[in-house]
Amino acid sequence: MTFLMITGRTVNQGVTVEDKTSAAYATETSTCFMHEFDMLELGLADHDTVRVTGACGEVVMRASASVEVEMGTVFVPYGPYANHIVAAGTHSTGMPDFKSHEVEIEPTDEEPKRVHELMEDLGGLAYDR
Amino acid sequence: MTELLVKNACVIDPLRGINAETMDIAIRDGKIVEEVSDAAEVIDARGMLTLPGGVDSHTHICGTKVNFGRYMSPEDMRAGRTPRRGPLHSTSGYSVPTTYGNSYRYSVMGYTTLLEGAMAPLEARHTHEEFIYTPLQDTMANTLFDGNWGIMEAIRDGDTKRVAAIIAWTLRAVKGFGVKLTNPGGTEAWQWGKNVSCIRDPVPYFEVTPAEIIRSIVEANELLGLPHSVHLHCNNLGTPGNYTCTLGSLGLIPDLNKKRQTLYATHVQFHAYGGSGWKDFCSKSEPIARFVDMRPQIVMDMGQVMFGRTTTMTADGPMEFNLYRLHHEKWSNHDVELETGSGIIPVIYRRKNLVNSIMWAIGLELALLTKSPWQCLLTTDNPNGAPFVKYPEIIALLMSKKYRDAEFATIHPDTAARVPLPAIERELDWYEIAVMTRAGQAKALGIQDLGKGHLGPGADADVAIYPLRIDEVDPATDYQKVIDAFSRTEYTIKRGRVVARRGECLIDGSNATFWVRPKVSENYDMGKDPDFIEKFDRYYTVRMRNYPVQEEYLNRNRCIETEARI
Amino acid sequence: MIVKDAVCPFCGCLCDDIEVEVEDDRVVAVTNACELGTTKFMGEKRLKGPILRDGDEWKDITCDEAIRYAADMLLSAERPLLYGWSGTHGEAQCVGVHMAELVRGVIDNTSSVCHGPSILAIQEVGHPGCTLGVVKNRADLVIYWGSNPIDAHPRHLSRYTRYAEGFFLENAFRDRKVIVVDVRKTETANIADEFVRIKPGGDYAVLSALRAIVQGKTETIPRTVAGVTREQLIRVANLCKSAKFGAVYFGLGLTMTRGKYKNIRNAIELVSELSRHTKFTISAMRGHYNVYGSNEVNTWMTGYPFGIDFSRGIAFYNPGETTAVDVLARKECDAALIVGSDPAAHFPRRCLEHLADIPVVQLDPYPNATTAFCNVQIPVAVTGIDAEGTAYRMDGVPIRTRKVLSTDYLSDREVLSRMYALMQEAQER
Repeated sequence: MTFLMITGRTVNQGVTVEDKTSAAYATETSTCFMHEFDMLELGLADHDTVRVTGACGEVVMRASASVEVEMGTVFVPYGPYANHIVAAGTHSTGMPDFKSHEVEIEPTDEEPKRVHELMEDLGGLAYDR
Repeated sequence: MTELLVKNACVIDPLRGINAETMDIAIRDGKIVEEVSDAAEVIDARGMLTLPGGVDSHTHICGTKVNFGRYMSPEDMRAGRTPRRGPLHSTSGYSVPTTYGNSYRYSVMGYTTLLEGAMAPLEARHTHEEFIYTPLQDTMANTLFDGNWGIMEAIRDGDTKRVAAIIAWTLRAVKGFGVKLTNPGGTEAWQWGKNVSCIRDPVPYFEVTPAEIIRSIVEANELLGLPHSVHLHCNNLGTPGNYTCTLGSLGLIPDLNKKRQTLYATHVQFHAYGGSGWKDFCSKSEPIARFVDMRPQIVMDMGQVMFGRTTTMTADGPMEFNLYRLHHEKWSNHDVELETGSGIIPVIYRRKNLVNSIMWAIGLELALLTKSPWQCLLTTDNPNGAPFVKYPEIIALLMSKKYRDAEFATIHPDTAARVPLPAIERELDWYEIAVMTRAGQAKALGIQDLGKGHLGPGADADVAIYPLRIDEVDPATDYQKVIDAFSRTEYTIKRGRVVARRGECLIDGSNATFWVRPKVSENYDMGKDPDFIEKFDRYYTVRMRNYPVQEEYLNRNRCIETEARI
Repeated sequence: MIVKDAVCPFCGCLCDDIEVEVEDDRVVAVTNACELGTTKFMGEKRLKGPILRDGDEWKDITCDEAIRYAADMLLSAERPLLYGWSGTHGEAQCVGVHMAELVRGVIDNTSSVCHGPSILAIQEVGHPGCTLGVVKNRADLVIYWGSNPIDAHPRHLSRYTRYAEGFFLENAFRDRKVIVVDVRKTETANIADEFVRIKPGGDYAVLSALRAIVQGKTETIPRTVAGVTREQLIRVANLCKSAKFGAVYFGLGLTMTRGKYKNIRNAIELVSELSRHTKFTISAMRGHYNVYGSNEVNTWMTGYPFGIDFSRGIAFYNPGETTAVDVLARKECDAALIVGSDPAAHFPRRCLEHLADIPVVQLDPYPNATTAFCNVQIPVAVTGIDAEGTAYRMDGVPIRTRKVLSTDYLSDREVLSRMYALMQEAQER
């Protein structure tokens, strides 16, 4: 199913933002907040994993029901998971489309990667000491 | 010990009554001295016009509003760019240059001391940060008190001593130099989207009038023994017929100080308008100049307008909103809690526009009609009337009737019927120009005793040597030579070092900030006043302990302590 | 020891009434701060010393070595990017500008991915704003548009709006109306007097509709605009016009959605329009505690708030070309210095792929997502905790952050000054 992905700040994202290697930060920023009916449609229970595919890649997140979002829209806390699929074009403004991204969402059996794994997939080297 | 000897200089030094004498200037460790040793480095001035370093007693160069003028105007930044070169940093901007741009361009013109015309106390730290990056001039800041709640309440209670006490606490806290009133009362009214029309209108809620604010703060200023007088931007700026309001404001001022004026009225050009609307808009420079001629307690500056593009910026928020409604250009406004406000819009002054042409004439008329040059100083209210790089042209206009006539022929043809300028024959001389650009400014600011504005032994060794021989150049006819010379010194010397030579700045200097600390008695220390503290805590959004500007923000600190009579 | 009136280095509210209790050079308790601030003050997961990536391993190196590495990297780069800056004090930002000028690099701050579009709008139409205390003392109407302070600026409501005392309001909580406009029914929407829910991407249309109503052209409004009913639009416009003092606070909900800076321009023009009827102001909810400071510093030193390219010697500004995401996505820069931000967590993947290909040095107290892309990371003191310096609040009010404890970490300014000194030396040779 096609959705509009919106990213934004949350308290939990902010609380963990200076501790990005923590599990709490990964959990928060890999959460895909969806409308209950949309989840029903996809056959998802709370905390089931979903594959989210954007214009330039895919990433696995965990779905979570939210009364805040409308049907057809998903909300993902600002962070490395959402950015894994956000395109870099800025339409000559310097600003990517962080709040207006079309994505495909489908159920999956895969688990979300850790932040470290995402970074290593792109050529980084995790620091974990 | 470093020594420098400027030989064969043709010196005009009005504060010492020196008019075009050929003499040597000896400099040691940044000060003027009687003589130096044979080891001193020598500069041969070859009879060139040599003046004390220029002083600008009203300019907008640093702080929140100036920086917002830059921030919102990339088109202005693009209009003046220089790359990093040697010790010099890159610069941007034409009407609101970056701090380095201001500093280098002023320095090349021989200016060594600048007064930022409007600093909101709450945002003072910003002004001081930018001062640090204005390396080639000493700086000081006029501090805004036009809409200060504590002061308006004290005035309502008839307590002038408390007014003085609040000023003393604030100046000390924010490292301010002088007391500035911008549209007194109007900036508070503007926080409700309103204004005051002139000095008798009460300010909403506080129920004090601008006249009461002006009078009370003038008294308080003298109680504190501040070096500078109150610095007033009158109510009703820029509106037709406002000259009566200006005369009314000036008429409030008694003569309270033997050493200097009691009121500095700034950019009076913008306050010298006749007519009942834009259709019959005309010059009222004559009544203003006559009024000032009779009152030694008043000094004004021109606020000259020059044609071209510039940016207007002032604490006078409601005035800027009116300008916005006239021009429909972009408009910024920034109200500051419990204190004041500001507004910014870009403008173009056009020769083909009648109102703009009349404004241009009025500024010149004020300077030419006021008898004493000590009472009408040369400014553009940079950048409101024009960027300061236009000063050399203004000097030439004041010195040459021929140049004025040539320019007059290019402006709106109806101007002649609305202004007295064409009939004015007066041409200012070199001495008068020296008064209007340094000596008079230093005296008006009360900094001549601190070694500014003159070249006497003990003074700061701030010297401007212009590539011009006054015995060879007739300013009445050779006005282009006057413009060229004042645009580019042969040498600018700041604190004893050559900082600029023939249009090039040579070093990355470091300036001094002048600020005032009035000494008041224990009873008038607002830092211990329970009512003052309680109101501060409840209504400001910054804690009282975090409000004062720390010493870290002052470069070469020149604290002026005064003995207050409270 | 209790440090009073400490300044919180988290969000643009820059709360300066924090009490921090320190024992044995550790923060043990924090009073007055929100959850975000408290966590930051209490945070202990710092990097111990500078690290260097050596193949697939991390090695500890000395501070001198790390600084030398950074200086050499910048000097040998053809087109270095100096990015971040919002998470440090102004004095460090100033050194950064001088460094960028020296190496003819591109210097950009995080505003290019937060309120950069707001700045572009301001450069078109200006900005009628005010300090936060003006709103606190006067505003009887506050509109949060595309911003969610409960999550992003938790004390904005209690210090300046909904729950704040105000001089001119008898009963501030009762007399002050709050409107929230958003595509989501956020936590903030729940405490609003009126919630306006817009269909995603519909902000521009709704702003235009409100402008039309304020101008008296109500008859032109269709039954609904981007999901908002005509009745609600008229009600909101009337609330605005009848307010004595209205304040709009907008967030990334306007800058990051379709239309970007045009949305902000429309919002500012609505406020300018309302200013003809009553007092109205508008301001951006700035994110990082000193992102506004990086705009201020860049502006007085270069003329532009962000996205400055010194490759031609002069300062050149062209957002979309000279901004970090674009410079990285086009694979233009050949080295990057990151200070006080975490682009790897916040930039699109294409940018990170390029970061992986070039030398990167980061100054940051904590290991973060960008660490994975670093060749060298230098841990620094945290401004507001073990370093002091100037920060500019979201409304432009500068406050000096306090140092609440002492550590051996150097501040950003100290590290950068040493780097800059080495670079100047090398240039003179």
